[in-house]
Amino acid sequence: MPAIVVALAVFVAFFLGYRYYSKYLAERVYALDKDFVTPAREFEDGVDYVPTNKHILFGHHFTSVAGAAPIVGPAIAVFWGWLPALLWVTLGTIFASGAHDFGSIVVSARHRAQNMGTLTQSIINPRSRTLFLVIIFFLLTLVNAVFSIVIGTLFINNPGAVIPSAAVIPIAIVLGQVFYRLRMGIVVPTTIALVLLYAMIPVGQAFPVTVDPIANALGTDPLVVWVLLIFTYIWFAARLPVWVLLQPRDYINSYQLFVALGVIFLGVAVGFNTIEAPAIRTDLPEGSPFWFPFLFITIACGAISGFHSLVSSGTTSKQLANETDARYIGYMGSLGEGSLALASILACTAGLGAAAVWQENYADFATASAGGVGYFVEGVSTFVGNLGIPAGIGAIFISVVIITFAGTSLDTSVRLQRYVIQEIGQIIRVRLLARNLTLAATLAVLISIGLTLFPGGEVGEFAFGRLWRLFGTTNQLTAGLALTVIALWVFMRGRNPLAPIVPLVFLLTMTTWALFIQLGEFWQDDRLLFVIDAIIFVLALWLIVEAIAAFNRVRRQRRGEQAPAEER
Amino acid sequence: MEHRVLLVREWDQQMSGSGCCGRLGGVNHELGEESTYAHNRSEMERMGEVYRALKAELFDEDVEFAVVDPRNAIWLVPNILRDAVRRGLPAREILRSVRDGVSQGAIIVDGRVLFSGRIPKPEEAVAAVRSELGVA
Repeated sequence: MPAIVVALAVFVAFFLGYRYYSKYLAERVYALDKDFVTPAREFEDGVDYVPTNKHILFGHHFTSVAGAAPIVGPAIAVFWGWLPALLWVTLGTIFASGAHDFGSIVVSARHRAQNMGTLTQSIINPRSRTLFLVIIFFLLTLVNAVFSIVIGTLFINNPGAVIPSAAVIPIAIVLGQVFYRLRMGIVVPTTIALVLLYAMIPVGQAFPVTVDPIANALGTDPLVVWVLLIFTYIWFAARLPVWVLLQPRDYINSYQLFVALGVIFLGVAVGFNTIEAPAIRTDLPEGSPFWFPFLFITIACGAISGFHSLVSSGTTSKQLANETDARYIGYMGSLGEGSLALASILACTAGLGAAAVWQENYADFATASAGGVGYFVEGVSTFVGNLGIPAGIGAIFISVVIITFAGTSLDTSVRLQRYVIQEIGQIIRVRLLARNLTLAATLAVLISIGLTLFPGGEVGEFAFGRLWRLFGTTNQLTAGLALTVIALWVFMRGRNPLAPIVPLVFLLTMTTWALFIQLGEFWQDDRLLFVIDAIIFVLALWLIVEAIAAFNRVRRQRRGEQAPAEER
Repeated sequence: MEHRVLLVREWDQQMSGSGCCGRLGGVNHELGEESTYAHNRSEMERMGEVYRALKAELFDEDVEFAVVDPRNAIWLVPNILRDAVRRGLPAREILRSVRDGVSQGAIIVDGRVLFSGRIPKPEEAVAAVRSELGVA
């Protein structure tokens, strides 16, 4: 099957989803009101609350939700064949992510643009705020673990990417000085930065960097060395003011996002590569996780991501000029994320060459998990090759894109994690922890290193596939929490809440089912992950109990309201 | 709207291309993030004063106001170009508008950049925008 045909079919489905399903959500479920005074209008101050043109706000929203995660999940999930992954990405985006992202903006806008943490407290109950913080704690720790392995693996697979990826740091620091100190324009310096960055690609190719000698001297795996180096860098980076490195790197990222998306789909359109992977894999190796339910937690971002509810409710809702704009911004943002996941599926099934190569790469789940990102890079380099760019250069280019995205995720995540640790320090009254940022940052990094290196039995065995599945479950639980908030709000307004309830029930069923199966799996050979899986399983049950209790409460309230009306 | 005024400044926690898996959304005061984005807050507040002054002074004019993050280049660049071309600015000035307009603290009126790199005082901004629009 030609990749371009699949891509077009998905884009047609996305178009129909936007045209019809989002219209249904807007009119029948969320009942958008063009006359509703949004927080941006009610509290308009030109600072936090600014009514913003929907096309501008879409740009803000989409660049905030797009990242590396929708690439990694599908790159692993095609292990079960391309069709299940494609169907979940397409249907998940249209029916789950669309309702979730769009609904999060609307509910937040209807509650003075409160963020999701506060909404869980006010709509479900105050206890849910604690549940939210605990889920976020595990989510951030797992983000740190999986993305450090992603970066390390890319460095090992593409040693040519080390120099350009490292070059991003001084380039971004210079950009920061240019933007924030010299107050110069952004287009020319960012373009020069991108040119400089891409000029480093052939340099990186000519001078590949490996840590093998260090690893050999220490008697350990090169990935262990990379993980330790990455976290050492992150520890320092997270202590810098955000304007020095993190924010200027955003400029490079925002340009790279569109360059990468453009190059991939142009390459697919020009090359007519055919999908060589099986549609549905029937020869699963013994002991492999079955696609039902594991597909639905392996692909989180790209089909539905709880993180989007945090972006939608915290920032986007404060800029919403008209309530009806939420449909375009939220739903289209989901479709953009789904397009990234689609690119990943195509790269890993049509970009790897002959079917035998695919079979070798996806021999078993552990190989597929460990190599997924590498296969995406390989596939994209094939698409980039269709445009006349040498495959080696293409591979380093896309590696650098993923590494800069993942690096920014890590930097932000460790920053947030240290605040969460300080908050916990306050709750348990350990003043040193609550007040000392260095200690909190060190603890955040050490916890993340522990979770990265220790699973698998011995230090450095790396259980990436397992960690990724746990990351998926926590992300889905966050989405579940947001969908509960959305469904309750819809129900309270007397509307039919099936549109958010169906994905909510589906996600919670798949998540708890997968977590339950994993309990047995991890008990055999990985007690650390068993404990974490057990905690997340309890969190999932807690969420289910809270959701059922909240729905019952609202149902009683509605009956109570209806009864006196009938008596009259 | 007949005219468009663009105010360019960063949002405190607007992230690009990777924010997905490392954001809580909005500045979380209870988690101490406020100080992290102090530099952004100061610019946001100063541009906010300009925004409020412009809206108050030009409320009866046919003007659309928009606050845009400079990282949102995919919207900003084509729209500066569109406004400048529609206004009939010469090619060199159009390029200059794009160069200076995608900048911290830029104020752009119908494709022409009035301020770039520094946020003016509200009265200074109002006077410049009035003059550019030909409003007494």
